[in-house]
Amino acid sequence: MSRTSVFAREQLRAPFTLALLVAIPALFVISAAGVLSDFATALGGSLAGDAAVALSAGWAAAFISGALGFFQAASSRGADRRLVLAGLGPARVASSRIAASVLLAFVAAGTAFVALILRVGVAHPLHAAVAVLAFALLYLAVGVLLGSVISAPLEGSLLVIFVFLLDAFSGPGMSGSPPPWSVSQKAADVLIAAGSGVGSPTGDWIKLALVTITALVAAFCVFVAAARSRA
Amino acid sequence: MASTLVTNAPVLAADGITKAFSSGPPWRRRRIEVLRGASLEVRPGELVGLVGENGSGKSTLMQVIVGLLARDAGTLSRPDRLGYCPQEPLLWDKLTVAEHFELFAAAYRLDDRTAEASRDGLLAELGYRKYLHYRVEQLSGGTRQKLNLSLALLHEPQLLLLDEPYSGFDWETYLRFWEMAEHRRADGMGILVVSHLLAERERLTRIYELRDGRCEAL
Repeated sequence: MSRTSVFAREQLRAPFTLALLVAIPALFVISAAGVLSDFATALGGSLAGDAAVALSAGWAAAFISGALGFFQAASSRGADRRLVLAGLGPARVASSRIAASVLLAFVAAGTAFVALILRVGVAHPLHAAVAVLAFALLYLAVGVLLGSVISAPLEGSLLVIFVFLLDAFSGPGMSGSPPPWSVSQKAADVLIAAGSGVGSPTGDWIKLALVTITALVAAFCVFVAAARSRA
Repeated sequence: MASTLVTNAPVLAADGITKAFSSGPPWRRRRIEVLRGASLEVRPGELVGLVGENGSGKSTLMQVIVGLLARDAGTLSRPDRLGYCPQEPLLWDKLTVAEHFELFAAAYRLDDRTAEASRDGLLAELGYRKYLHYRVEQLSGGTRQKLNLSLALLHEPQLLLLDEPYSGFDWETYLRFWEMAEHRRADGMGILVVSHLLAERERLTRIYELRDGRCEAL
């Protein structure tokens, strides 16, 4: 029995969490595309049609993964640190905890992608699937990072939502000029392109991979720093 | 108090430990000095008590010794093989008792046979074997505390640190706890018990009182 599977099982034993993993992405994709288009128009963006639906799948996966990442890291922090002090070490606990969260992010991204495919035909389904997964992993990293340093559920979840809203309403398609620090900019570029029936160039894929890996590494490092022994 | 012939070097030596916390907004920062040079030691085969009023810093000192909190100053010497039983059980609500044992056995690097023998012994000693496959969220407070204590003892540590270990225990389990502690002390384990009230003084080798951030031997 690996630590990762134990930690994943810990989350899956919460039936409400499972229901949210499936329901939120599906409902978001079904209901949010029109709202996203309206906001984009109001903010000076160009998001509309199938591209808006595609982007809604990314945001759906991002939202639920960010929340899961935060609560996984924050709610189990005391017991995780005890395990670290028992001799497992912060790196191994961090990798198991993040790997378990990644498994759940795959479920969220998978649900969002299936909802997207059922709602509209996507010309580049593989591109869309990878971009939705990247959204999920980016926000998983945001959630784990915040959950590693903030244990209060209200403050932490509000911060995750704050990052999410800032990113969502200033990102590609939503505003005329997305800020360079936008967490999901590259994922959104690829997803909007896939939703519009256009493939993305290799450069975009490389940037997306770099941003996603950097985010996960940052989350890992912050988790390790927060959990290490102070003796 | 119990007398024990001890000739070995201390398994725990804390000397001049200081720890302060800051609170409040930056323009009204308050610095609270909790530990102001606390010193104590525990030798193999000693069962040592640490008492003090609520808020005197007992749990802070324990967390500094364990490594959960960084000390501001002072020196600390402790073995790698230590067991820590925190005041509030630090457990995963959705995992079973068996899964907790497996995770901690891996952390302590116990082989399967040793881990199983140790686990079964602790389940029998504390009388909660029937809960092995229950999730923590399904356990009573007392049974959680038994698991909390068992995880600290699973690898037979050289130094056992117990922070209010018997809160939630019924009378029978409370007595069994002291028997367990005495057996392990007799086997050479060094034990530090933190409590705001120690009724079992005759069982202890020595008692420290934490007052004004310093430990005084009583």
